[in-house]
Amino acid sequence: MTSLDHLVLVSALTLALMLLFGRMRIAGRLAVVLYAVQFLLLMQTGALLGEPVASSLTLSVLDLQMHWRYDALSWFFAMITIGAGFFCAWYAAGVWQERYREEGHSPRLFHVALAANVLTMLILLGSGDLLSLFIGWELVSWASFLLMAVGGGPAGRAALRYLVYAFSGGMAILAGLMLIYTQTGSLDYARVLSLLGELSDGQVWLLLLLIGGGFAVKMGLLPFHLWQAAAYAETPGPGSSFLGAISARMGLYALIMLLVAMLGIGRLTAMEVPFTFLSARDLIAWIAALTVIIPTYIALQQHDARYLLAWHGIGQGGYMLLGLMVGNAVGSAGGLFHVFTYGITQAALLMAVFAVVHRTGTADLNKLGGLVARMPLTFLVLLFGIISLAGLPPMAGFVSKWMVYRSLVAEGMPLLFVAAVVGTLGTILSVYKLIHNIFLGQLRIEHEQVREAPLSMLLPMLGLSTLIFLVGVTPGPALSWVAAVQASLGLPPVPYTLGGIEDPRGGLDMLWLVGILMAGFGVGALIFFGLGGRSKRVHQLDNYAGGHFLTADVRYQYSDNFYAGLMHLIGPWYRGAFLWLEKALTATVAFLSAVMNGFYRYAQPALFVLATAVALLALTTA
Amino acid sequence: MISDLAVPNLFVAQAGQLVLPVVLPLLAAFLMQPLARVSTALARGLGPLVLILCAWITAQLWIQLGDAPFTLAIGGFAPPLGILFYADGIALLFALAVPVFALLFWPGSESGGGAGADSRPGSDQADRDQAARRDALVLLLVAATTGLALSGDLFNLYVFYELAAVASFGLVALSGTGRAQVATFRYLMISAFGSVLALAGIAILYMQTGTLNLGQLAQLAPETLNNPIGSAAFALMLIGFGVKAELFPVNTWVPEVYAGAPARVSALLAGLVSKLAVLVIVRLLVLIFPQPEAAQMLLVLGVLGVLTGEFAAWRAKDFPRMLAFSSIGQLGIVFVAFSIGGEIGLLAGLAVALHHLIVKSALFGLAVRWNGSLEALAGAARTSPLGAALFVLFALSLVGVPPLPGFWAKLTVIVGLAERGTPLDITALMSILLVTAVEASYLFRVAIRLYQDNPDPVARHARRDLGVSALLGAVLVAATLGLRPVADVLGAGAAQLGDRAGYIETVFPSHVAGKD
Repeated sequence: MTSLDHLVLVSALTLALMLLFGRMRIAGRLAVVLYAVQFLLLMQTGALLGEPVASSLTLSVLDLQMHWRYDALSWFFAMITIGAGFFCAWYAAGVWQERYREEGHSPRLFHVALAANVLTMLILLGSGDLLSLFIGWELVSWASFLLMAVGGGPAGRAALRYLVYAFSGGMAILAGLMLIYTQTGSLDYARVLSLLGELSDGQVWLLLLLIGGGFAVKMGLLPFHLWQAAAYAETPGPGSSFLGAISARMGLYALIMLLVAMLGIGRLTAMEVPFTFLSARDLIAWIAALTVIIPTYIALQQHDARYLLAWHGIGQGGYMLLGLMVGNAVGSAGGLFHVFTYGITQAALLMAVFAVVHRTGTADLNKLGGLVARMPLTFLVLLFGIISLAGLPPMAGFVSKWMVYRSLVAEGMPLLFVAAVVGTLGTILSVYKLIHNIFLGQLRIEHEQVREAPLSMLLPMLGLSTLIFLVGVTPGPALSWVAAVQASLGLPPVPYTLGGIEDPRGGLDMLWLVGILMAGFGVGALIFFGLGGRSKRVHQLDNYAGGHFLTADVRYQYSDNFYAGLMHLIGPWYRGAFLWLEKALTATVAFLSAVMNGFYRYAQPALFVLATAVALLALTTA
Repeated sequence: MISDLAVPNLFVAQAGQLVLPVVLPLLAAFLMQPLARVSTALARGLGPLVLILCAWITAQLWIQLGDAPFTLAIGGFAPPLGILFYADGIALLFALAVPVFALLFWPGSESGGGAGADSRPGSDQADRDQAARRDALVLLLVAATTGLALSGDLFNLYVFYELAAVASFGLVALSGTGRAQVATFRYLMISAFGSVLALAGIAILYMQTGTLNLGQLAQLAPETLNNPIGSAAFALMLIGFGVKAELFPVNTWVPEVYAGAPARVSALLAGLVSKLAVLVIVRLLVLIFPQPEAAQMLLVLGVLGVLTGEFAAWRAKDFPRMLAFSSIGQLGIVFVAFSIGGEIGLLAGLAVALHHLIVKSALFGLAVRWNGSLEALAGAARTSPLGAALFVLFALSLVGVPPLPGFWAKLTVIVGLAERGTPLDITALMSILLVTAVEASYLFRVAIRLYQDNPDPVARHARRDLGVSALLGAVLVAATLGLRPVADVLGAGAAQLGDRAGYIETVFPSHVAGKD
């Protein structure tokens, strides 16, 4: 038994215990403890800095060997996975779980689904060959389906859509693996790696299309982005946080395995897209850039806080892939680091939104407002989150996004840089809409009695917010993990310091930056209080807009048709082209299905017998 | 030469019991009607009793005689003159599966076996007659399908095949509804045409070789049948035997029959009878027609079956019809697998076939209650949580989700296809992967619907049907846990099934002994 076995066993034990005792009230807390134990066991494996840790379990089927091992990359993703499981289980463990039960759902099913997700992801991350990678991939897909479907109703429909996408992707991956198998006669990483160089460019393109396309589905890369927002948003609260934080990143993990570890950035750069001046690497980078822009601007249109954040999740995945495609030390570190910073950010943001849903019963941005007076701590969590999501200092998200921008500029990719900035602009606009419509403006009468989120939900939120801030100020320790991952992937490791990165052409030191920021605030405060600090507290209904006093029945609330002017400008750009594409595919399947049905309804079956007999006889004598 | 079998007497005595699983149900079927006049209880008990006996005898034989194949010359006339039974691991496995599955899906009277078995209120006497007829038909089906598994002679195979056809017509038409009768008539038409073609194929074989003994045919095939005439004969027999094996395009009877017949009968036809017909085709393919054209026919028709079946299922409106289309698709995969040939092809084919036997039978077991439209299934998980959970389990295994057995079966097929790697194989591989996505879509549409909220869900399952499905589900889970031993057993079976020389040697041991 190796330390990896212990980890997976405890994870499996968590699943079993949730199955057995999930009905009991203590189950939530038990899950929290068990995730904490898993976290400690992961730390003990030492896979980050030392040698890869192998599992003692091996299987062989059809002469195909399967084994599992953890290296630095696995460790990094597993750390985020278990951490997300820990915080989400904590969020669910108290009041949330009781409410969930009262609403007629099964907390046991939820805890089981969450534990199954963590377990299957740990299995996927440990895959030591392509077959175990595929098996882990399928397990993760179905575990996510379970977590998405437990909500019922609209969640079920969204989960089904996800399933069709994910399973089609899975089949494409299997087809790609079989292509590899026919060419190399093996599915073992080392052996495949040594023979991959002999594949022709055409075969590698096919591989990219089949396997890369399949992995891209889970990440929601264009053009496979349509399923994700609804599926993640409709999942019950903590489940949604978990999926948003890490689930889509399994796609990134697998893409890293394919693009960076197996094919290598060099090979991608050498492959020309026929009839263009682009290489395969540019193509993927542009797909990533478009994945940043399009979903982010779709998010801007959303009226539901959960959907707004879930659409962002797709866009942020684009930054990660973009950074990795730049491929230099800072860029790939930025992409990897964004997995972590975005994970904690999105988890905190969705928790805050679901805390609001918990208290008010709605996530509709047109039906909220002014809650800052009622839920100040939740407001603070959301504020920290959106600053980080938008990539502004001093939060964690700034560091990772800055590194991606920095690498794009340094490597001479100005157009991609502009694309990334356009995406960030959309993020800033939409997160402002988010915080404004929930917390600012006037409180609605029906929310007069709303209280702060319950402590059991607030604590994990505050914990994550602290983490977001701390990682923002001192990114050094987290960057040391990223550097180890880069080293294990064969990428140049990023030269990190406690406060950021060292670079002769302009590094980053968050300690300085935050210091200056705080000093600025300090100066402002000095001036304000030096001048007497005059302020006057008024009732929220006592205000005016556009020179008119507003009475209690005419409210200050811009939330409906937010950004009307902007939408007037960019509104016609939303064409729904991908929806059209999806519908066309569905219609094709429906048409084929109707044709096949027609065949089986045809009333002259004897004719078929004769026709086939004649055809076969003709074939044999020909 | 006739009495000169180089085996001890004890062995002959035991091997002689091999006829019992065929003869006993046949005898019981004929006794059923007169017995029902005398005592209803006795008649009712006779069928299950005989089946248990058959299963016990077969199991006993398998345990005592081990894995080595053996033959039994009926009446002591040695081959090629007499007719003989040939029993290897796979034959015994199927011979065991027949009574077991017939017992599991025995059309009981207490809950009304599905669509309309109890829909016609009549006098007690009429009901009893009906029950006796039904029981007799099932026993007839059991005898015929066991015969299919064991026969080592093409003439016998044809006879048993026809017997199975007659029994299944009767069973399908039993419910007496107009829909069932129309479906049966169509089934009858296709079957009849198919039989004529199969007979023509057999006639060609006899013309070419002068024998119908499979062992002797296998000996003579390389010289006499490895030519267009031989391929033509195979094509004709493929179409003929393909009718019951749900081979495209002679499977157009399938959806209507399964939708109209009592669900338990559908379970037997889709699960058991189709697999025995497949076994016959595989025996022909392995022993007599090793030429690539034969395998290619199977591959092309299999792919077409996969595509048409699974796509058609996507639009199916009611539960049994969906299962029927899915069954066509799965059998298409079975054909594709067997067309690969070699040990891996046979292993893949056996794995998919046995997996489908278990899963589809169990799903039709659930269809006893869920026999209506898919829409009506909304919220069924509330009344029948175990049934819904089992449906999800079977659906997962059908689409091939690791680590369930369905995944390994499908993976074996796919690896087999990839290893051979001709363009046709790659097309087949891609088709299978494509329709698997379609399959997941329609199966899980139903799964989601089962768990929807619905104030007025369908009635719960009868305890017996649920028990049978749960048992088969448990078998599936057990196979998942014991993947290695199951794979070893199947691998050994596949090796034996593909061992042409071994077959000849078993049928004509003196032939080899004479050479020494």
